[in-house]
Amino acid sequence: MPHGDKTIAAAESQKAEISRELTIPKLFYQQAKRYGKDRVAMREKEFGIWRPITWQGYFETVKYIALGLIKLGLQEGDKVAMIGDNRPEGLMAEMAALCSRGVGVWLFQDCLMDEVRYIVDHSDAKFLVGEGQEEVDKALSIMKDCPKLKKIIYDDPKGLRHYQQDCLISLREVQQLGRELEKEKPSLFDELIQKGHGEEIALLFYTSGTTALPKGALLSHHNMLSMGQHLMEIDPCQEADDYVSYLPFAWIGEQMMSISCGLQIGYTLNFPEGPETSQENIREIGPHVMFAPPRMYEQMTRTVQVKYLDASWLKRMFFKFATWVGYHYADLKFSKKGVPLHWRLLHGIAYATLQKKLKDHLGMSRVRNAYTGGAAMGPDHFRFFHSLGVNLKQIYGQTEVAGISVVHRSGDIKFDTVGHPIPGTEVRINEEGEILTRSPSVFKGYYKNPEATQKTLKDGWLYSGDKGFLDDDGHLVVFDRTKDVFTLKDGRPFAPQYLETRLKFSPYIKDAWVIGDRRDFLSAVMCIDYSVVSNWADQRKLNYTSYQELSQMPEVYELLEKQIRQANKDLPDVAKIRKFTNLYKEFDADDDELTRTRKLRRAFVEKRYKEIVEALYSKKESVHIDTLIKYEDGRQAHIVTDMRIISIPE
Amino acid sequence: MSTTFLPCGEYHQNYHEDHAWWQTRFIKGKMIALMLMLFIGIPYVADEYWLSVCNQIGYTALGALGVQLLIGFCGQVTLGHAAFLAVGAYTSTLLILEFPWPKLLLDLGLAYPLSIFIAAVAAGIWSVIFGLPSAKVKGFYLILTTMAAQFITVDFVITQYISQIGGRGQAFSLPPGTIKIGPWVIDSDLKIYYMMIALVIVLTAAVLNLLRSRVGRAWVAIRDNDISAEVMGINVVQYKLFAFFVAGFIGGVAGAFWISNLAAISPEHFPWFWSLWLVGVILIGGVGSIHGTIFGSIFMVVVMELLQMAVIPLAASYPKLLMDFLFIKEAAFGLAICAFMIFEPNGLAYRWWQTKNYFNLWPFSY
Repeated sequence: MPHGDKTIAAAESQKAEISRELTIPKLFYQQAKRYGKDRVAMREKEFGIWRPITWQGYFETVKYIALGLIKLGLQEGDKVAMIGDNRPEGLMAEMAALCSRGVGVWLFQDCLMDEVRYIVDHSDAKFLVGEGQEEVDKALSIMKDCPKLKKIIYDDPKGLRHYQQDCLISLREVQQLGRELEKEKPSLFDELIQKGHGEEIALLFYTSGTTALPKGALLSHHNMLSMGQHLMEIDPCQEADDYVSYLPFAWIGEQMMSISCGLQIGYTLNFPEGPETSQENIREIGPHVMFAPPRMYEQMTRTVQVKYLDASWLKRMFFKFATWVGYHYADLKFSKKGVPLHWRLLHGIAYATLQKKLKDHLGMSRVRNAYTGGAAMGPDHFRFFHSLGVNLKQIYGQTEVAGISVVHRSGDIKFDTVGHPIPGTEVRINEEGEILTRSPSVFKGYYKNPEATQKTLKDGWLYSGDKGFLDDDGHLVVFDRTKDVFTLKDGRPFAPQYLETRLKFSPYIKDAWVIGDRRDFLSAVMCIDYSVVSNWADQRKLNYTSYQELSQMPEVYELLEKQIRQANKDLPDVAKIRKFTNLYKEFDADDDELTRTRKLRRAFVEKRYKEIVEALYSKKESVHIDTLIKYEDGRQAHIVTDMRIISIPE
Repeated sequence: MSTTFLPCGEYHQNYHEDHAWWQTRFIKGKMIALMLMLFIGIPYVADEYWLSVCNQIGYTALGALGVQLLIGFCGQVTLGHAAFLAVGAYTSTLLILEFPWPKLLLDLGLAYPLSIFIAAVAAGIWSVIFGLPSAKVKGFYLILTTMAAQFITVDFVITQYISQIGGRGQAFSLPPGTIKIGPWVIDSDLKIYYMMIALVIVLTAAVLNLLRSRVGRAWVAIRDNDISAEVMGINVVQYKLFAFFVAGFIGGVAGAFWISNLAAISPEHFPWFWSLWLVGVILIGGVGSIHGTIFGSIFMVVVMELLQMAVIPLAASYPKLLMDFLFIKEAAFGLAICAFMIFEPNGLAYRWWQTKNYFNLWPFSY
């Protein structure tokens, strides 16, 4: 691995910098005045149609919510916590919080009570804007533990008729208060917006925390805007573009697309009907730009693989032909040697007969740039999308740089790297192999946590905690979290996520956890994909009643063994999985096994499943489990089962 | 009606777009191509014989449209639809032959067009009279009352009394030049063809529009469950009678149109078998589908023509075949109905839908 103090910086941008004075509200004000009634700022699917909201409408709602918040007692720098699905009202509340000089704090919609309590309390939030009854209930039950929380604002009144608490107020009433305040002080809103400065804190973002409690990263207006500007310099979007906002606002990637980039370009944000329909709604809109964590792309790949298995013979033949051509074509393009004419012709046929339609099904016919980031993506998935002709790019970044710092350039894509830094960003690898970043987007520090800030921010360089290196073309390769890197038997370092993402290319495998740091061989704990494997089992007339039972069937073990052998191919002997077992449940963020962005919390699962790990490295052929599991609705179940342990010989 | 399959990137911001007929550019292109084919392609390619086949198809489609509306969308099974075609044909003929038209209208060539409209209204009213029993009876019993319409109208009223008007005996013959729309005398298959295409398009569009309105939804509700429809506040009797009126109206237009193709009209042109035939057309095309009406008409007419083509060369060696052709035709009709009921009970329209889906879902199966 090439170590050393090599620094790379992208060529300086030609365009004028976003000035230090500019804030998100100022930009919002400019854009709303510029587009007014003529352009659609957002659409939401409701009752079967995509209801448009113009910039004018967006601006007015934000204005009245902002003034309403002031009337309710919001002071400069007060935190406004927000929780809910992706809806125009959520984004409007965030924009209003920023316009009234508050600081926005987003929570994941599926956060459990403890997490909500921790974040609301730690961030000193004064207001909490929730979507409906569920969020209001959560907020009310933590109210007594969070004395700083003053008002709970809700948007959807369904089920709330008999709630009499004084601290409750609807978003409509807040807007009404805002209208009243506007009559008293008509210029207040404009003054508030003019007061802001780019270096002020805009958002307090809680990182997902694979290792510890979430830390609150403070991001300024300038952090957010400069990041968006630099990304747009590489891959410009247009005003007429569509973007679908369906990933949690509490994820920095969504903020980056909806706020940092969206506001600058003025493209239309589209909000799906509900979380269940998002995939279908994406297909309807056909966005021009996409940014999603790998699990979304993995899910798409899995859907395609499963549907392929169920398709008729003729359709399968076409599919085989087109993917064969697609892969070859993509590889030729990756190698940058130019594509011979006959391959172009074959590709044309494959495109016309299959790829065009397949992209249509996936909602990707209009995608100009698709990004994936937030976790590692397997090369197989990556190649799959390129074989379809989707311009998928890896992104590397973290909440602490307001989103991203490194990205592939069009035409210069390698599926095992994350590309070059975006303009204005420097990336360096230090002696320990850690990735360091310096840019105008590097955050201001962690909220109420000076030690962590000191550890992460040194002389303007952000210490990421990720191991990586630069390859010969100057591409950054991210190996894994420093803490997660394994040492194999022969002393080589090894990234378990590499093997895990390879395993996940099999449609039958939802999650994988590879174990083997400083051990004789690697082993794995697998979580099957219930819908796919149950379909497979139904076709073979296997009887089962639950995930637990299905996962422990000998036939399923055989199936998984085949998948693992496939993933083991082409790997050095020491990096091959030698033993595995099927877990009796899926990994779940509610059990703290995954972060809210679905990253495996390795240290936690290692502690939790100690007996399984021990059994994998003993001579045992099964491991007895006797445990309690918690369902999402709070019920508990007692599980007693024997998990088989299978060895995979040479 | 199924919802349109929209390609990725096509979405609607208001209900107006959402309910539009032709929602994508691809569909618009397809429809323009279809129109070009109907108005330019077919007349250019087809000879007199094939044009007359097309006219036969159009006439069948116009007749079946009313039957489709009653059976497929309102659930009122009818076996007497030829009666209303007859009312339309006779009203129009009588108006042309006997009515003292003002000279101005005759010179403008409006007699025939006006008579079509009056004939349609008359047939509609006549249809409502025979629809009255539907207020009380349903299903099997209604079939018998509609059959009564056939026998009372054609075999009794028309044969015994109407045909005697003017003392011409059985058949009314239309002198050349009387069938005239504006300055155009309808005297060739090509002119009949254009008239047929215009009528089929206008009436199909009218029915499709009715079906996506409040009226159409009420009809479908009555078809699916008349008791629930009534509970939901739909005036069942009123909507049933309106369905009979519209079906009769379309039948009247069809009948009045068809006299342009006949030198002389007589009750034999509207036998009970023709009522049965029209029901067969929608069974084969697909009950509850406007596409099905057209497909069924094309299928039935073309199959019968092919049958005829097959029989004629054989007739040299088996002369009896030619003599018995009418019975062969009826047997083929029976066989076709049996085959469809067994192998494709949802009709040709369902096959069409499946074919479209096959390509819409390509390369998958769902």
